[in-house]
Amino acid sequence: MREKELEKLKDYKYGFTTDIETIKAPKGLNEEVIKFISNIKKEPEWMLNWRLKAFERLKVLQEPKWQKPKYPKIDYQDIYYYSAPKSASEKPKNIEDLDPKILETYQKLGIPLQEQKRLNGIAVDAVFDSVSVATTFKDKLTEKGIIFCSISEAIQKHPELVKQYIGSVIPINDHFFATLNSAVFTDGSFVYIPPGIRCPMELSTYFRINASDTGQFERTLIIADKGSYVSYLEGCTAPMRDENQLHAANVELVALDDAEIKYSTVQNWYPGDKDGKGGIYNFVTKRGLCKGKNSKISWTQVETGSAITWKYPSCILKGDNSIGEFYSIAITNNHQKADTGTKMIHLGKNTKSKIISKGISAGLSDMTYRGLVDISPKANNSNNYTQCDSLLMGNKCGAHTVPYIKNKNSKSNIAHEATTSKISEDQLYYCQQRGLNSEEAVGLIVNGFCKEVLQQLPMEFAVEAQKLVGISLEGSVG
Amino acid sequence: MEKQLKNDFEKIIKTTNFSKETIKIKENHLNQFIATGFPNRKLENWKFSDINQIIKKNIGDLGFYNDYSFANKIDPSIFIDGIEHNKIVFINGRIEKIDFTYEDINKIEILDQDQLENSIKYDNSLISLNSAFTNKYYKIVVKENYSLKKPLIIYQTSTKNLKYKNINLRLDFLLENNSCLKLIEISDDNSRKNFTNTFFNFELKKHTILKNYKIDKKINDNIKYSFNNIQQDTNSISETFILSSGSNFIKNEINCNLNGKYSSAFINGIFSLKNHSHHEIRTSVNHLIDNTKSYQLIKSVLDDNSKSVYQGKIFVNSKAQKTDGYQLSKAVLLNENSEFNAKPELEIYADDVKCSHGSSSGNLNKDSIFYLMSRGLDYEQSKELLINGFLLEVVEKITDSEIRNLIKNLIGVKE
Amino acid sequence: MLRINNLSARIDNKSILKNFSLQVNAGEVHAIMGPNGSGKSTLSNILSGKKGYDLSGEVLFENNNLFELETEERAHRGIFLAFQYPLEIPGVNTNIFLKTSLNAIRKARGEKELDAIEFLRLVKEKAKELKFEEEKLNRQLNVGFSGGEKKKNEILQMSILNPKLSILDETDSGLDIDALRIVADGVNSLRKKNNSFIIITHYQRLLDYIKPDFVHVLMNGKIIQSGGPELALELEKKGYENFN
Repeated sequence: MREKELEKLKDYKYGFTTDIETIKAPKGLNEEVIKFISNIKKEPEWMLNWRLKAFERLKVLQEPKWQKPKYPKIDYQDIYYYSAPKSASEKPKNIEDLDPKILETYQKLGIPLQEQKRLNGIAVDAVFDSVSVATTFKDKLTEKGIIFCSISEAIQKHPELVKQYIGSVIPINDHFFATLNSAVFTDGSFVYIPPGIRCPMELSTYFRINASDTGQFERTLIIADKGSYVSYLEGCTAPMRDENQLHAANVELVALDDAEIKYSTVQNWYPGDKDGKGGIYNFVTKRGLCKGKNSKISWTQVETGSAITWKYPSCILKGDNSIGEFYSIAITNNHQKADTGTKMIHLGKNTKSKIISKGISAGLSDMTYRGLVDISPKANNSNNYTQCDSLLMGNKCGAHTVPYIKNKNSKSNIAHEATTSKISEDQLYYCQQRGLNSEEAVGLIVNGFCKEVLQQLPMEFAVEAQKLVGISLEGSVG
Repeated sequence: MEKQLKNDFEKIIKTTNFSKETIKIKENHLNQFIATGFPNRKLENWKFSDINQIIKKNIGDLGFYNDYSFANKIDPSIFIDGIEHNKIVFINGRIEKIDFTYEDINKIEILDQDQLENSIKYDNSLISLNSAFTNKYYKIVVKENYSLKKPLIIYQTSTKNLKYKNINLRLDFLLENNSCLKLIEISDDNSRKNFTNTFFNFELKKHTILKNYKIDKKINDNIKYSFNNIQQDTNSISETFILSSGSNFIKNEINCNLNGKYSSAFINGIFSLKNHSHHEIRTSVNHLIDNTKSYQLIKSVLDDNSKSVYQGKIFVNSKAQKTDGYQLSKAVLLNENSEFNAKPELEIYADDVKCSHGSSSGNLNKDSIFYLMSRGLDYEQSKELLINGFLLEVVEKITDSEIRNLIKNLIGVKE
Repeated sequence: MLRINNLSARIDNKSILKNFSLQVNAGEVHAIMGPNGSGKSTLSNILSGKKGYDLSGEVLFENNNLFELETEERAHRGIFLAFQYPLEIPGVNTNIFLKTSLNAIRKARGEKELDAIEFLRLVKEKAKELKFEEEKLNRQLNVGFSGGEKKKNEILQMSILNPKLSILDETDSGLDIDALRIVADGVNSLRKKNNSFIIITHYQRLLDYIKPDFVHVLMNGKIIQSGGPELALELEKKGYENFN
């Protein structure tokens, strides 16, 4: 009986597809496709030139090979780089004008765009395949001078801001996937918080890959001006498909003097089936620049989905007294592979960083924490604390910890700790004696293991994340 | 460099009498080295120490030919006083003396290894270089149930006239069941600007103990690489201690395979660096069966523009349940130009294991200095006292008391 | 309520319990005393369903074969074990653990699950009764608790879960005299017509506070003598060695 229930639960909840007419660019990667994307988005010339510059650079770049998870060669000519719901080609003015099918999709995902009030005051930007389809709560944000819109809209309406900051954290020639994104990015969110403003609500983007053979290349740019604060949430799902789909997003954060950005992700892309067929390749570049003094950037991620996850949300601590934080839970089950971690680059004086990483591997999966802490000769009185804990469930999975530590400053301290453990039989027995079944017991113990990270998430996300932690591991206890 | 390598290789073949098979194997190694060259920072293992650049910058062009037809004279003043010991003396890469005076002659066998096995496969071009150019080498066998009465000291020395040369050393050790060997490697160089490439193999059979103390103390401007490969059978113990201090550059690599149950490996090291020296220790301990144990403790004290690197890897395969693996590295940076790099790595495929690592680096604890100064010590005294205590913890790990005292005297650590 | 017939248990081919038999009726308190290694903890583990034993014989709980029930199913039916060494579970809040546990049991019994407010009211009341500092319930489960606190926490859990059969495995060991009294009060307040107890202990002193109906002496996996409370006193006087 229990097994049947489990079987049901194990199925990917977000694995449905939606039948929607789409406009697609021709398959393949070439200048024409890039022009097509730029044109359909009515971009100014400087943006097109920027994309073409990235494309030139891409021609000489190689795909990185150093990461642990290996993947079959991707045919970049066999991907649609642009796919948009037909009905969104003219962007609807308000939510009521949206294609009802898209609304339905988001409702199934638990993101009822219409019933904003139920979302406890979170402003949502929904990205469907390649384009942003809806942004909620716009009026309330505009009042405060906050800009929260799709990046396409920002390119048209706020070119001076986009021009100044796009590529300022992730340069156009950074690495293969980041550069690919710069050439073909389709949509994503743009946030600007004016000086001294504390954003009154959580801002959120929900990403959804629907069409098949489609890559999703969104680009997010968040700028927190002097003395401002914003908390931003990102969630992702995709339908179940047998083939692998590529997701190569770029996220750039810029925090000016005394500003703070909190960026939270719950990533639950389709992980592939039990035998490792299908699933998303999640190759994402996320980087934050603490540009001003006393600025702070905090990354929190819960990574449970994707066939392969490969991402290192990083902080460049340039401003004096700036702070970088990275809190991560990564769970792999079945055939999933994840290579994730962070980079903390200390450039300014009195900069601080903290890394808390919890990795859980089960089934036949493989998990790597890879991180860099680099304190430069000028970053006096800086410090880093890193804690990496891994939990293994079974002896067919792997857990790896690969920290790179570079201390070039005698006035600065770096401390790193890592442990590997398993759930003890006795802990399980104790919980079962108190009436919990083994799945519940594992969920409880694993959530305890992840607690320090879960605490960092905004309330609404924390509840979802806790459930996800339990569901992701179902079927992994013998 | 290719031309130089080929010419020097020809010269060696002419002046020695290796068998045809050996020459063939050596040629293969030569070609392999020519294909890859010296390792550079693009290789993960050499990320922190680009030896290709280091050789280029500090030495320039290297010669690979050494004339081994003449014996060098041994200067007895190099021998360590106050501790009775057996000796092997290398001068400029040539073995000048093998002396097991203190031992039962039937219990130690010295095999002349002019034939290289072809089976050694390492993804390491320096081992290819070593295999191509090494002179004939020996395999030292410690017979079953025999424990050497006195330690064996291997002196690696070089003379003033040696310059811009590559020297390759090789020794193999076999410890038969229930045997025991204490080994001290001391480098004592008078030469300048050479590249020494040392490759030692250890095969530890059941219930054996190997204690290996590697001492690099004398200041010199040579570039060095040393690779110790240790294979361990059931219930064997290996203890490696590294004092990394005197050379301009040295990278000590320890690869340890725990193949037998209840085997254990201990690796402890001290970097005590000044000036522009740049040293690295890289370990990989492979737990390949259940119930094995490893422990590593590496400490650095870095002054001036010096730099130390510790790359330590613990690998646990899926069979190796009940593994106990521990790794700790600590560094004190005394000068604003000094640098500490670490990559403590865990790669684990079994769930019932206890593995952890820790790393910390920074300056001396200000509160401790303040406390000591409030008791009347001046700043320098306080600093010295703290460093002394910091390093003492590693020295205390040395299990042989005679050698522990010897090393304490060598680095001036007081109790 | 509980009938153990000719129970034998082996672990790693070592025989621990040999043809052990015991009957516990509703409302009775049984004390099982014995020296180290006599099989006391094995008995409590088998009753609560720990795996890893080779078993023969029969254990019936309310006429159901206990061997056919999983650990949690036994808990649902009202078997509670106060552990000799309560486990630490890092990161898991004690209150949340208790609530999850209580609701799992209530759900299995077809009772309404308690919401947060009802639960907290219940916990507050029980904690007060047992003089358990409420602040500790917001800490991680047993992490950083002293030995005595862990044991008191077990008794608190017992009184909240309200089991039919409670097994106390050396709950008295490591307790000072005040904590011992609190534990005993906890047991006595639960002692009703329908609730039964098996109290496993080394020493007689706990039995000064909890008066057992029966005392059994366990040696080498067998009950060698049974009697009333006076047996415990006699045992205390003579010691296990001379008891035979």
